[in-house]
Amino acid sequence: MLSIVVLYSFVYLLLMSFSLFLFIFGRRLLIESRERRDRRIYDLMERDLLEVLTARDPRGEAIAFARKHGSQSRVLKELLVAYREALAGRTLEPLKVIFERTIRGRCLRELHSRWLAARLQNVRLFIDFSRPEEAVHLVKLLHDKPIVRLAALNALAGIASRETLAHIFDLFEKDPAPNLYAYSNIFFSLGPRIEPFIRTTLDKPLPPAKSGLLVEMAGRLLLRGLYLDVIAFARHPDKELRIRAARALGRLLVPESVRTLTDLAADASWEVQAQALRSLGRLQDWRTIPIMIKGIFSPQWHVRFNAGYGLAAFGLVGILQLQEISRQKEDRFAADMASMVLDTVILTGGAS
Amino acid sequence: MDALRFLGGGIEAVILVYFLLINTFYFLFSILSLAGILRYRRLVTFVRFGEIFRMPIVKPISLIVPAFNEGQGIIDSIRSLLSVRYPVFEVIVVNDGSTDQTLARLVEAFELRPWKAVYRKSLPSQPIRGIYRSSIQPKLIVVDKVNGRKADAMNAGLNVSRYPLFCAVDGDSILEKDALLKVVRPFLEDPERTIGAGGIIRLSNGCDVREGQVVGVGIPRNWIARFQILEYLRAFLGGRLGMAMMRSTLIISGAFGIFRKDIAMACGGYRAASITEDMDLCIRMQKHMHDMKKPYRVQFIPDPICWTEAPESLRVLARQRSRWHRGLIQTLVRYRSMLFNPRYGVAGLFAMPFYALFEMTGPFIECLGYALFLSHLLLGQVNYPFAVTFFFVAVFYGTFVSLLSILLEELSERRYPRLRDIFILTAAGVAENLFYRQYLSVVRAWSMIDFMKGKNEWGAMEKRGFARAGQTP
Repeated sequence: MLSIVVLYSFVYLLLMSFSLFLFIFGRRLLIESRERRDRRIYDLMERDLLEVLTARDPRGEAIAFARKHGSQSRVLKELLVAYREALAGRTLEPLKVIFERTIRGRCLRELHSRWLAARLQNVRLFIDFSRPEEAVHLVKLLHDKPIVRLAALNALAGIASRETLAHIFDLFEKDPAPNLYAYSNIFFSLGPRIEPFIRTTLDKPLPPAKSGLLVEMAGRLLLRGLYLDVIAFARHPDKELRIRAARALGRLLVPESVRTLTDLAADASWEVQAQALRSLGRLQDWRTIPIMIKGIFSPQWHVRFNAGYGLAAFGLVGILQLQEISRQKEDRFAADMASMVLDTVILTGGAS
Repeated sequence: MDALRFLGGGIEAVILVYFLLINTFYFLFSILSLAGILRYRRLVTFVRFGEIFRMPIVKPISLIVPAFNEGQGIIDSIRSLLSVRYPVFEVIVVNDGSTDQTLARLVEAFELRPWKAVYRKSLPSQPIRGIYRSSIQPKLIVVDKVNGRKADAMNAGLNVSRYPLFCAVDGDSILEKDALLKVVRPFLEDPERTIGAGGIIRLSNGCDVREGQVVGVGIPRNWIARFQILEYLRAFLGGRLGMAMMRSTLIISGAFGIFRKDIAMACGGYRAASITEDMDLCIRMQKHMHDMKKPYRVQFIPDPICWTEAPESLRVLARQRSRWHRGLIQTLVRYRSMLFNPRYGVAGLFAMPFYALFEMTGPFIECLGYALFLSHLLLGQVNYPFAVTFFFVAVFYGTFVSLLSILLEELSERRYPRLRDIFILTAAGVAENLFYRQYLSVVRAWSMIDFMKGKNEWGAMEKRGFARAGQTP
């Protein structure tokens, strides 16, 4: 009985292995021939597209191009995505025209597909080629799965009107499990135009993580108009928020923030102290040099580290102070830190 | 006599069941991987990895490269790491007390200068003799320390590193330019839960390596390297991707894996006494997250690629596999409390038992089968038609699983450009069943005895350098 089972298994496996080998081999031949054909079509399309991009009437030429190559949607998508990478601004207009005349309809249909991958692929095409009036299709996807939601947000960020910005911030406020990382990048890509939205949102009672992100954005985007809103968070009971406020103030570089940062440099939490010292260094107010020197003698490594680099940010004056600290013998840790900062300034300065 | 015959029959049944189960699991993993690769390919369609490069806020990464006597290939390797596309990263090479020219070559190639670094010794490691910075490559830091094995070197690198993510890369490995951009995606998509992610390791033997990059992929002429290419395809595309689909990833290869530094530090970093520090850390991080009752994910991404050099002689290969197997046993013994423990979810109920039953004890059962066959042969009790048919069943089962891994490779990256490569890999899939597989089973079974005897050494690997690997017949 066992022999028969084994014999059948042998025959079965032999056939399966042979079929699988033929499948792999045949598939490779097929794909290679398809790739060769696609390459030919791509080259042809690319030549025509370059003519479109350099034509006197790009719109008219783009329409002609769409009419000619519209049936080859797979290669066309590849070409449009590749050229989207290389072009920016007004030069993208012919690509958008081609997209609208060829792929857009199908894309819109597939935005509502039951397959996540299909929705995702098509939102990503919209990131590149959508127009403000199409935001309505993307807004519907803001309640989809996180990965689609983020892609939709990215697409909306690319066609930022006042309405789409309002949608983005509304979603940010309501998002129960926001990917703060992704929101940071979206907000950053939107630039200073989000200032009024940040101000309004900061006034609302949000979880510290969300407020922290907005405070951070105010600093990164150099929104000095939000200086007073940021200062308010310097006294917040949440340590993370105080750190972010200190960091934002170090970026905004408003001279009046020295006093707040000096207070933060004496905060109960060493993390806040460390950040405040780094920011004070950026402000380069000579009156704060004694605070920096005190910081480099702190028992906390991070505070010493940031105070060291804070001093280095003062330029020659800071470097002279660091030299002096590196020579003193009373606090070995402070001396080592000062030596390292000096060494780094010299070495990396030379390298870059 | 009857009792002996009964015992023999029992052992035969165990071997048959083992044979059926292990091959069925590998087959299932391959099918899951197939689904995983197709899904991944669809999900990343139209994703521009360059976009991650241009993101204003990305998580910086410390690439930590432990190097012990890697003088042959270290310069190529570091050049490849310095040329990866990623916005903010640093490369920390830890010269782990090399006795060859590793440090001297680094100093000469990158114009290293001593650097008075002040770092926090958060993790224990052997004393550091000096830290160097390159005057031509600001991203490069070299730590020279007393020898203490790879885990110890990794800990020293972690102490000096500055960034929230770290990537362990072997000193004899080459990363593809976009590998970091691809492997970092899970950390951007799900930054709270993702604690580790790994990519595929492939063999550079037979490839054309220039200026620290693989510029042409080929199959080596050495058959031992060819067998290993297939093994790596099976292990990474078939096994690990399939395991990852079941949320059962227990290993992120030490040759190329990326982790969250805060979690690794909270677990106490790498365990210096560990032989396979990569598996040890990965399991410990998962155990830590379970103990803390925090959700987590360990991801396996099928397309960021790291190239590494494989041994081309049986002697060196045996040393490597013996070490891997001893490491596996050591890790499973150490974390035995997770075995069949529902508290650790899929890792405790499926992944750990799978590794224990099939990966750890598998070679023993295989060797038992060979021994039983030989004893039957000597006693003249072999049913030859059955034995021959069974042998061919085993060969074609193995070949079928190998062909599935070739199919997975074709579906994912299609790195081997020539049709001839498919023929060679298929031939290797058949040929490896004739001696190579049995040899490795014996080596791995023997390593269990070594482990019980307390053997804890690494065994030297002979490096030939990327330019020469795979060029001898």
